[in-house]
Amino acid sequence: MPPDSSLAALEDGALARRVATAGKIPDSAAETELYRRLAPRVRLFGLRHLRESHAAADLVQQVLLMTLERLRAGEVREPERIASFVLGACRMTVLEWRRGTRRREALLEIWGGAEEAFEAPEPLVLDAERLAACLQSLSERERSVVVLTFFSDSPAEQVGADLGLTAGNARVVRHRALGRLRACMDLSA
Amino acid sequence: MTCSNPIDFETLLAWWLDELQPAAQEALEEHVFACAHCARRLEEFAAIAGGVRDAVRAGALGVVVTAPFVDALKQAGLRVREYQLVPGSSVNCTIHADDDAVVGRMRAPLGGVRRLDALKQLEVGGVPGPEVRAEDVPFDPASGEVVFVPSAAWLKKMPTHTLRVRLVAVEAAGEAAVGEYIFAHTAL
Repeated sequence: MPPDSSLAALEDGALARRVATAGKIPDSAAETELYRRLAPRVRLFGLRHLRESHAAADLVQQVLLMTLERLRAGEVREPERIASFVLGACRMTVLEWRRGTRRREALLEIWGGAEEAFEAPEPLVLDAERLAACLQSLSERERSVVVLTFFSDSPAEQVGADLGLTAGNARVVRHRALGRLRACMDLSA
Repeated sequence: MTCSNPIDFETLLAWWLDELQPAAQEALEEHVFACAHCARRLEEFAAIAGGVRDAVRAGALGVVVTAPFVDALKQAGLRVREYQLVPGSSVNCTIHADDDAVVGRMRAPLGGVRRLDALKQLEVGGVPGPEVRAEDVPFDPASGEVVFVPSAAWLKKMPTHTLRVRLVAVEAAGEAAVGEYIFAHTAL
């Protein structure tokens, strides 16, 4: 469903306020728009901290459905600060999953009801053939650093140590390589 | 969708790779959660990371790597076929349909080498091709080897051939041979 243009102009906080003040009949358009906006941010947080796409998708569903539920119930004290609320929920949830105090499956049973079918926007996916060609156009050293960095999301210290470089040198090569890669891929957001 | 105080790419990347101190990490997360513009830019790194992983898994890249990276490939569940060579040696090699990667591990005396070039010559049907130079090949001198992963997708399409690799140390005074290696590849 395309975003409602009148809602698209609202700030996140104003949107959350609309959800919170909707009364007995949920403002489904506002909820859909809020979910659409926040889902990519929660997903990125999940990918960064959990390093697994399925876990990140679960995090999106759980955190945002819980957030909407709390908004509807008037349990979010400052809807204007909805981004902070969602970030806090993400941190808490990831912590719980890591500690194993609450299992992912159990939480999804609570917050992942099939009747709540919100759609998250598709994540950005790069053209595979073009990316391979762009990677192949890098110098040997640049390509190695990019592959070693992103295959396992390794910091410069690790990549540098594996290649006999200082972390600083690895960062310089990485920076140059990513600049060339982004230009080759026309990434300019 | 704009941001009055956009976070630079190097910092976004440092967050993605867990290089920031905890306080800086928390501040960045607060910003990104409230800023669709920076979140969108961050998506690029997620897309590049995912794209690189997919390209490696698909065998779409030829790349010089390291021994720990080969271990990471195996841990990720990829089927890896390895060949180890010492200088002046040759090896009969191949790739099977269900192999995800072939690794050539060339032992080499790399102590004191500052820049290493690889000169590759492909011979198909007894006809040698031109020698192609790959400049400034990355290596860890302490490891004593250069680890190369050719594109598995490319290799699977290749007929039986021979690949000669000459490693040379490049110094201000000229070049010095480090080792020569022959991969005699049989197409299945």
